[in-house]
Amino acid sequence: MGVENFVDWLRDAARTLHDNAAYLTELDSAIGDADHGANMDRGFAAIVALLDESTFDSVDELMKKAGMTLVSKVGGASGPLYGTFFLRFGTALAGAELTPATIGEAFKAGVGGILARGKPELGDKTMYDAWAPALEAYDAAVSGGSGLKEALEAAAEAAAKGRDATVPLVARKGRASYLGERSAGHQDPGATSTTLLLESAARTLA
Amino acid sequence: MIGIVVVSHSHALATAAVGLAAEMVAEDNRPVIAVAAGLDEKTFGTDAMAVSEAIAAADSPDGVLVLLDLGSAVLSAELALEFVDPEVAGRVKLSSAPLVEGLVAAVVTASTGASLDAVVAEANRGLVAKQDHLGDSVETAAEAGPTDQVIEVVVGNEHGLHARPAARVVALVNSFDAVVTLTDLDTGRGPVDAGSLSMVATLNAQRGHRLEVGAGGPQAAEALAAINQLAAENFGDAPVSEPVVAASGSGLDVAIGPAVVVDAEVDLTGYTPGDAAAEHRRLENALGKASAELIHLRGTSPDHSGIFDAHLALVKDRTPLEAVSSAIQGGSPAIDAWKQTYDQLAATFEGLDDAYQRERAQDVRSVRDRVLRALTGALSNDTPPAGGILVVAELDAATAATIDASKTAGIAVRAAGTTGHGVIVARSRGIPLITGIGDVDVPNGATVAFDARTGSFEVEPDEDSVRTTITQRQAEREEALNQAAQPAITRDGQLIEVLVNVGSVQDAIDARGADGSGLVRTEVLFQDHAPTVDEQVERFRAIAAALQGKPITIRTWDIGGDKPLPFLPQDHEANPFLGERGIRVFRRRPELLRDQLQAIRHVATETPVHVMFPMVTTADEVAWALQELGPRPEGLQVGIMVEVPAAALRIDTITEGLDFVSIGTNDLTQYTTAADRTNTSVAALADGLDPAVLRLIDHVVRNAGVRVAVCGDLASDPQSAVLLAALGVHELSAVGPQVPLVKARLRQADLSEVDTAEVLAARDAAQVRGLL
Repeated sequence: MGVENFVDWLRDAARTLHDNAAYLTELDSAIGDADHGANMDRGFAAIVALLDESTFDSVDELMKKAGMTLVSKVGGASGPLYGTFFLRFGTALAGAELTPATIGEAFKAGVGGILARGKPELGDKTMYDAWAPALEAYDAAVSGGSGLKEALEAAAEAAAKGRDATVPLVARKGRASYLGERSAGHQDPGATSTTLLLESAARTLA
Repeated sequence: MIGIVVVSHSHALATAAVGLAAEMVAEDNRPVIAVAAGLDEKTFGTDAMAVSEAIAAADSPDGVLVLLDLGSAVLSAELALEFVDPEVAGRVKLSSAPLVEGLVAAVVTASTGASLDAVVAEANRGLVAKQDHLGDSVETAAEAGPTDQVIEVVVGNEHGLHARPAARVVALVNSFDAVVTLTDLDTGRGPVDAGSLSMVATLNAQRGHRLEVGAGGPQAAEALAAINQLAAENFGDAPVSEPVVAASGSGLDVAIGPAVVVDAEVDLTGYTPGDAAAEHRRLENALGKASAELIHLRGTSPDHSGIFDAHLALVKDRTPLEAVSSAIQGGSPAIDAWKQTYDQLAATFEGLDDAYQRERAQDVRSVRDRVLRALTGALSNDTPPAGGILVVAELDAATAATIDASKTAGIAVRAAGTTGHGVIVARSRGIPLITGIGDVDVPNGATVAFDARTGSFEVEPDEDSVRTTITQRQAEREEALNQAAQPAITRDGQLIEVLVNVGSVQDAIDARGADGSGLVRTEVLFQDHAPTVDEQVERFRAIAAALQGKPITIRTWDIGGDKPLPFLPQDHEANPFLGERGIRVFRRRPELLRDQLQAIRHVATETPVHVMFPMVTTADEVAWALQELGPRPEGLQVGIMVEVPAAALRIDTITEGLDFVSIGTNDLTQYTTAADRTNTSVAALADGLDPAVLRLIDHVVRNAGVRVAVCGDLASDPQSAVLLAALGVHELSAVGPQVPLVKARLRQADLSEVDTAEVLAARDAAQVRGLL
């Protein structure tokens, strides 16, 4: 595997987010400012434009550029959050061999960036509620001897469960937190886009 | 000075907030304020890269304060710190202060050179003033250090110590090594830290409030002296009652200079229209410029602020603006769209039944032309070239009040009439003036001269002869000024008191040779807010002191007609000059009058004071007024204005209980001749020297049984003053610049030589003039 897999991931993620933009925005309109789908679509479309005009020799260079693009183009809180994720994801892979273990470290570094930036805790009804079980499932699969594809599938599956579990939660971060109790009963858009990204990774990285 | 960065989801929000805050501080003193807001001008969002660039742009060795709105703004700003040079990041402070309030406080504090920590603290207190005002205060006052020196100052600003003057206080205080506190002695609020904008704003000190200023530290004395000076300058705001344009004209009745012919029509040729967007923009700019001019005019001539408020309202009137806007959208150039709409509006006003409303057409045309001049880039005619003679079709009060009297040789008015507002204002400012020159052809720039005393107006005159006349009149005037303090005793030995009409303390200070004030216009003294009894006492006291304790005659509120008071709203009247004016206003709601009478009674115990009631018609009104006045201190004389013909005719039955009457010749003239002095087509009828008016004055003098004064405009004209004295009036109250001249002329006069019988028998005002 190589940089082309990650290019595929980003392109596939862009398509997926584009196809789900209306859905994400609908989720966000219930408890946020109704821009998550449009913001993510805009950010990943910019990544696709970047991929169309440049070639990348290394995964870390590619992912850092992708992260910077999200930082500047998304606009909402998911810009600095996903932007930081990809920046740290790329940094972690600089000069590293691409193995399930190193990729797992990269995911951890990226999520560490999300934690540093957004300071979420489990149950705050944020994208972290999808990321945390996903990391756990990925680690468990890799230690159990699974390959990258199985590990990513396990992560995506766990993320989806985490996403579904956000429905009854009361938001404690972001714009949704202004709604207080009224945010309960709605699925978190950030956890939803995280799940989409991981499902896309499972389709493309291995 | 620290730099400031504003991070917001919205570009419009951030730039507007910066605009709001930047207003607080002069440009050369402003910190660098960089904006990182929106993904572009329309798309909401924040961009960490843009934030890091803004931080780099605002960076200074003193540090950078970042103010943000919410959500991603916070995340992007934090992320941005990872992008900038770590050394720079080390001196950046992200603030949780509220964006708008925090920014205003930060810009003001930063402009004083305060440290980053001080600015951060001040920004964080940004909500205090609002919380305090709305009663949901949570923060306690900032602790100010000990103070050991104290002075007291008074807030003289029209709107109190509002944001901008407060900002000036803060900037001044922070420029000293001193701890300064403010306490509002009238509300008991304070002491608060005078170096903190939020705290000074919390004081909410209103106009007239006394502030105790305490100071400690090495430069305490210097700080107090500087604040005392700032307070004396109204904290940098334009003063209200004391006109800034105090510069007065030559005071002569003769003038020569190049004609400045003010055309009614603005020259619209040479205007090249652009596309609709460009025309919209030009109109916006022109409206902004016109508003700025009007606000400036209002500030520099507060006596006439009502006129400019009305003009400002017309500039901003939504309905015609919408019509203009849609005409531009439809392809009209801005000048045509504007002119047609305002022409129509003027025509609408002219078509109304109500005479008062009809006159507003003049205001509409004035605003129309002001904006057209701004659109075409024509010079504003607020300031005619120096040394010129302004030739105008009619003289409105706005022009008369605002032209630079020291630079205008004179004003020649085509329309006749000597009692219009503009004429009165120009005369009170000592500007040489002639009226009724008619349709004389005057080429712009041609040398013209006039002599109001002989009624001559000449184009291309014999300059030498005019200069000789001017020299003579100047000598005459100088002589008059030198003798001003001497009493006016006529050649036949009659002592005539010549007093001054005042509408401000400054008028009293400027008056030369006045034997007191025969008319204190209280409605002009206090224009913007209902003054407290104490405020009135203080102002009356100041006027009496400026006149060296000579008697002052205070006229109670004379409002209504063309003189509305903002703090005493009146119902719309179809015919306000025949409606609730003067004393009539207070029969139904006497509270304001009672306050004023209390102030007058109080001052009367300290200095010679007389009081008079305006617009009295019946003996009932006199009895009511005396009852409202109540028991009065010794020496407080009471009188009424005689302006209504009915009062003049029954003067013998109306003066019971009174010590004097004072004839207001302007209103008496317009009521007697049934001619509105502001309506140019009939203003010539409203001539104070009309024998009908003079007969009424003669009747009053013979039958009043009490002292008779004249405080109308007739008393300001030296020739008419001699006639009034000859009719038996022993007290004349004139506008300031005319007092010495009236006195001088009286000294030269022999009243026994004036044939009053012949004057009263004359057929018209022209014949009366011939006899003088």
